[in-house]
Amino acid sequence: MQLFFKFVCFTVFESVITVINSNSPKRTTMATRPLMLLSGTLLGLAAGFIMHRSDFCLAGMFRDLFLFKGVFRLRILLLLIISSMLLFEMARLAGLLRNYPFPLFGSPSLAAPFGGMIFGIGMVLAGGCVVGSLYKTGSGSVASLVAVIGIIVGSALFAEFFPWWIKINGAATFFSGKITLAEALGVPPFVPIAVATAIALPWLITVYRKGYLERPVYTEGSLQPWIAALLLALIGLISVITIGMPLGITTSYAKAAAVTEAVICPTHYAGLAFFKTVPLKYTEPLSGTELKGGPGKELDAIALIQYPLIFGIVIGSAFSAILLREFKIRWKLPLRQYLSVAAGGILMGLASRISAGCNVWHLLGGLPIISMQSVLFLAGLFPGAWLGSRILTRYIIR
Amino acid sequence: MDCIQTIKFDITGQICPSTLLIALREINRNIDDLSSGRLRLLITTDNRDCTNTIPEAAGNMGLKATVEKIDSSYNILVSKE
Repeated sequence: MQLFFKFVCFTVFESVITVINSNSPKRTTMATRPLMLLSGTLLGLAAGFIMHRSDFCLAGMFRDLFLFKGVFRLRILLLLIISSMLLFEMARLAGLLRNYPFPLFGSPSLAAPFGGMIFGIGMVLAGGCVVGSLYKTGSGSVASLVAVIGIIVGSALFAEFFPWWIKINGAATFFSGKITLAEALGVPPFVPIAVATAIALPWLITVYRKGYLERPVYTEGSLQPWIAALLLALIGLISVITIGMPLGITTSYAKAAAVTEAVICPTHYAGLAFFKTVPLKYTEPLSGTELKGGPGKELDAIALIQYPLIFGIVIGSAFSAILLREFKIRWKLPLRQYLSVAAGGILMGLASRISAGCNVWHLLGGLPIISMQSVLFLAGLFPGAWLGSRILTRYIIR
Repeated sequence: MDCIQTIKFDITGQICPSTLLIALREINRNIDDLSSGRLRLLITTDNRDCTNTIPEAAGNMGLKATVEKIDSSYNILVSKE
């Protein structure tokens, strides 16, 4: 905790220096990086805290639909997507989005629904998605930590299949060069967004008035999920403005795999083409510098953007749990469940690379700009979550 | 009324949605004894979400659930209305 505090103080200090020095053009390019680190850390801390307080489990949203016919949390997810859609579009119209569509989103490919389905199975088996597992780890769940390790293993496995995958993905891509629905239709971005919000907003207002977005509160310090959804949309907005892209963390899991493999088996690592790719090339909004990054072991832009976020989510959630005196390392659970979370993690790791992003990336970053890849990912997520629920109730929790 | 039986379950640490699944299974299995008031279920969980879902499920089956925080976990008591 103390170390973390020192880190925050240091970053704050650094960014103050940056602002002071921002008049001299020479310093700006290098010195705005602490600002980015600070932004990522604070966004992560806030997201981890909010998710812990509101049980914002994206995996649960889909799973509960099939296990318990519960739609309450899917309503909350829709609220989050629609409010992000409106906020992102307003930011774009105001000229605040330097990179649009966001970096790292690709053209639609049939790999996306396939990856979405594998991801759906994985997140249900792991009891949480890539972000859910992080905030649950933060509150003391050893099972979720196993899921996180599984995601790293899954990313490492993907590196082995990569040369084969890239051929399949190339053949399965359509609307090449087009990312969003608006681009494919050849209309301005606000057209499909206006249509989508015009349909969803009146419905959301109706369910809100009927009280369907509220739920009774029994836990200490609980946050209503609809408030959490609006706050998370705001966090997403700050991310796309200050960092230049929506919240994403899975490439870092691949990075963790790269770092480990480079140490354990350097010759094998050197032969893996996946770790040499540099998919991220974009203009960082705060300084206007060109940044690059990929899944390799280097401390590049991916590390700069995602490491603080991951760190923030775990610590933010731990902080929330400690404040409520609910933090406790919990590791006693049936072996069957450990196997389930490990398998689920591996599937999520593989799927995140197959479909170029995890559920948070696609649902909270891609759907708000109607990226076709993300829509396809969502289409795969439903049958995946259904399959995962069947496996879970038949073999894991009996 | 002096011989109400209580079955206890400690589900702390288990993955989602173990708590709700086990609670539902036990409610279904013992629905007669629960409805007549002979039996109560006491579920200990660290899963914050279940403090919403279990009372809701119990309510749908004509039962009542109360939630109480004990140390770092939550105790959910399912009983007759």
